[in-house]
Amino acid sequence: MHMTRLHFRQDIRLSVGCFLLPLFLLLAFPLDAHVGSPDVYFDGHAGPYQLLVTIRPPAMIPGVAEIEVRGSDPGLNSIKGVPMYIVGEGSKYPPVPDPLQRSKDDPRLFTGRLWIMGSGSWQVRLEADGAQGPGTLAVPVPAAARRTMPMLRGLGIFLFAIMIFLVAALVTMLGAGSREAFLAPGEQPQSANRWRSWLVMGLTAFALAAILFGGNFWWDSEAEGRARGMIYKPPALSPSLDGHGNLLLKMAASRWHSNRSVIVGTRLIPDHGHLMHLFLIRSPKADCFYHLHPEMSDQNDPPAFTQTLPSLPAGHYQIFADIVRASGFPDTMTAEIDLPETTGAPLTGDDSEIVTAAITPSAVSDITAELSDGSHMIWAHDATPLRAGKAILFRFRVDDKNGKPATDLEPYMGMAGHAVFLDHDRSVFAHVHPEGSVSMAALALLEPQVEQGRPMMAMHHTMEGPPEVSFPWGFPKAGDYRIFVQVRKAGRVETGVFDAHVIE
Amino acid sequence: MSHTAPIPAPSSGPVPWPLLAGAIAISSIIFGLYWDISWHTTIGRDTFWTPAHLAIQFGAVLAGISCGFLILTTTFGGNSAARDVAVKVWGFRGPFGAFLAAWGGATMLISAPFDNWWHDSFGLDVQIVSPPHMVLATGIFFVGIGTLVMMAGPKNRAEGATRVAMERLFIYIAGLLLTLYLILLSEFTDPANMHGGTFYRVLCYGTPLLLMAFSRGSMLKWGATKAALLYFALMLAGLWIFPFFPAEPKLGPVYTRVTHMVPLAFPLLMFAPALAIDWLTARMADGNKWLLSLIAGISFLLVCMAVQWPFADFMVSTHARNHIFGMNNFPYMQPPSTYHFAWEFQGESLTAFWKDLGIGAAAAFVSARFGLACGDWLRRLRR
Repeated sequence: MHMTRLHFRQDIRLSVGCFLLPLFLLLAFPLDAHVGSPDVYFDGHAGPYQLLVTIRPPAMIPGVAEIEVRGSDPGLNSIKGVPMYIVGEGSKYPPVPDPLQRSKDDPRLFTGRLWIMGSGSWQVRLEADGAQGPGTLAVPVPAAARRTMPMLRGLGIFLFAIMIFLVAALVTMLGAGSREAFLAPGEQPQSANRWRSWLVMGLTAFALAAILFGGNFWWDSEAEGRARGMIYKPPALSPSLDGHGNLLLKMAASRWHSNRSVIVGTRLIPDHGHLMHLFLIRSPKADCFYHLHPEMSDQNDPPAFTQTLPSLPAGHYQIFADIVRASGFPDTMTAEIDLPETTGAPLTGDDSEIVTAAITPSAVSDITAELSDGSHMIWAHDATPLRAGKAILFRFRVDDKNGKPATDLEPYMGMAGHAVFLDHDRSVFAHVHPEGSVSMAALALLEPQVEQGRPMMAMHHTMEGPPEVSFPWGFPKAGDYRIFVQVRKAGRVETGVFDAHVIE
Repeated sequence: MSHTAPIPAPSSGPVPWPLLAGAIAISSIIFGLYWDISWHTTIGRDTFWTPAHLAIQFGAVLAGISCGFLILTTTFGGNSAARDVAVKVWGFRGPFGAFLAAWGGATMLISAPFDNWWHDSFGLDVQIVSPPHMVLATGIFFVGIGTLVMMAGPKNRAEGATRVAMERLFIYIAGLLLTLYLILLSEFTDPANMHGGTFYRVLCYGTPLLLMAFSRGSMLKWGATKAALLYFALMLAGLWIFPFFPAEPKLGPVYTRVTHMVPLAFPLLMFAPALAIDWLTARMADGNKWLLSLIAGISFLLVCMAVQWPFADFMVSTHARNHIFGMNNFPYMQPPSTYHFAWEFQGESLTAFWKDLGIGAAAAFVSARFGLACGDWLRRLRR
């Protein structure tokens, strides 16, 4: 067995820290990728079986992802799952798939745990089997180390006490050995033996203390280095105005990304037709919402983007900028900017906006939103409280002015709709599509590898769609959320706005 | 003096049970360790309850229990003969080696919850040398050293067939300790590194110590050579037998398609420098110890270079990519695009090379001197 030398050099440096176990190490980085919503929700087809998939990537990597799959077909008998990279050499050979366990209480629910061994752009390939034969579904899973776990206080105290005990035992054992082990049977140690014993114990204690002290110092720097190199951060984004009504967005270089040039990749690829999806949301009221698509103005690495601003009121704006890497790995960059009242160009292409009332924290969730053409969007949500951490299929229906299901919905950027979920304090932001929270670009990368059912993606831009659109997602935590649901209706993008209250 | 206690070996008769228990413990540990590394590079996934882990922890428990029992019976058993050949630690009495081995077993067991926490916090094992593994390795070394030390006193007093049996057991445990140490170095000792200074520098740190201690402490003419040959045979057995067991990865990403257990690499030719050390210690047995250590250390380095350097030329060639030499074995996580690193020598500046050799020569001298002292202690041990 042969491994590269570099690997080992990195590994051997870890060894010194073994003596310091309980003393240190207690880093906790509450940083979440994708703005507070790392879990993956996906609604797709494995051959004939429709599956609602939830994957919770581990916070520390390598680690174990939890997976939940709910099938809609009662004939579904078994599901196996296997994680692989989407691109590169690691995407060729799948390891042995793991069978998911069927719930005893709910025969349509399957759960399992899958090992994610590195940060990067992964897929979880699901192999379903049942009365209608086999089928395969691949779900993109961007995985990134978000934090290290602190040692539990009880375990730390226990290990520290054990370390003290072992050190004390070793010192006295070596002292006893040097005092008595060389004596003939029955012979009593003399003064010289005792002096030698004290000397040995002193030297041993000094040596162990030096090892512990030096190792502790070394470990601090090593732990900091690990946190710097392993913990994911999206690239920094610097927004500015150029004086001509243009918003400039300059991305900063990211070593985390460039160190993973294959499994993450630094080059950007279009996600449903655009290199960047920019969301400008006035804060804290979330009353002005702009979904824009800047052009790349500097193609160097890192690149820069420019967006001609539409007319908008002055205010403090939160920026969320979605991009996708060549591996299918998504980043959501965040920034803030104060903008003056702007008289800008009319919106064109896929750009859209809505100016509405401020978010109103309330125990009751809205279920109806009026659209700009007088029609209505209705959230098919009963009185059941919304709970954090639970996969939900958010379903919205559009009725025309007369209360009848709309017949003039069209695909918006190739899909039935787009939804943005925003927490009141802006600590959670998710840009979700009918297929789920994954990037469409990652799905497109998987298409040649696995044939999977994605009916809405195949819609032609001018084709009329059904009056309903649904989004699989789950609130990561309790709080007050605002949901922006966008559809294209009779050639115009309409945005329904809903406020939701979520409990634990 | 004749003894009836469990540990003080009679001048004739069977080898005392605590020594056999120690030998079984260290055997189980080393076998489990080899299996575990192979498991990680073939199957990838593990829990605490893999057979390999159980073999390792069985050794820890066996060493801990047998030595603990020995200490307790010596302390409270009222056997004055046993107490006469015991040392006293915190009021307990027992053979010096029993305390060391028990300490090693306890340290090994303590590494388990630490390793578990390490997995939860920093992820699963993708490396041999991780902090919890080093705690484990420290414990393993002490189990082995404790057993050697426990054996030294009775062996030094035994005669006839008993002494021969105990000398064999001594060499057996010495060979296992050498195996453990060289396995820990294995990621430095690829053939691709054998034309570089780092390989020789790293070898010079601890190997001369072990070989000198075995050569001197065994009181046999070819003690170090026999231990090195045992290491060579064990590693060859692993290399040749493990691939007969089918297995496949259960973790991704899989870069190399693996269909059988991946063994560790072809062993180092340590019997050659061991032979030189045995010859020198015999020739200069009564000479100046510093001079002996200097000559033995330098000889170790030179003989290593004389055998490993040309052997590496063969190992990186296509002729070694077969079942016998194992140069076509790669772990599942190794991309094929990096195979060539195993088959070509690593570049290094001449300055760095000579600097490594200089440090290696100095380290070999110090290591040999310390090993000589350890060997002398083993010879003089009575308890």
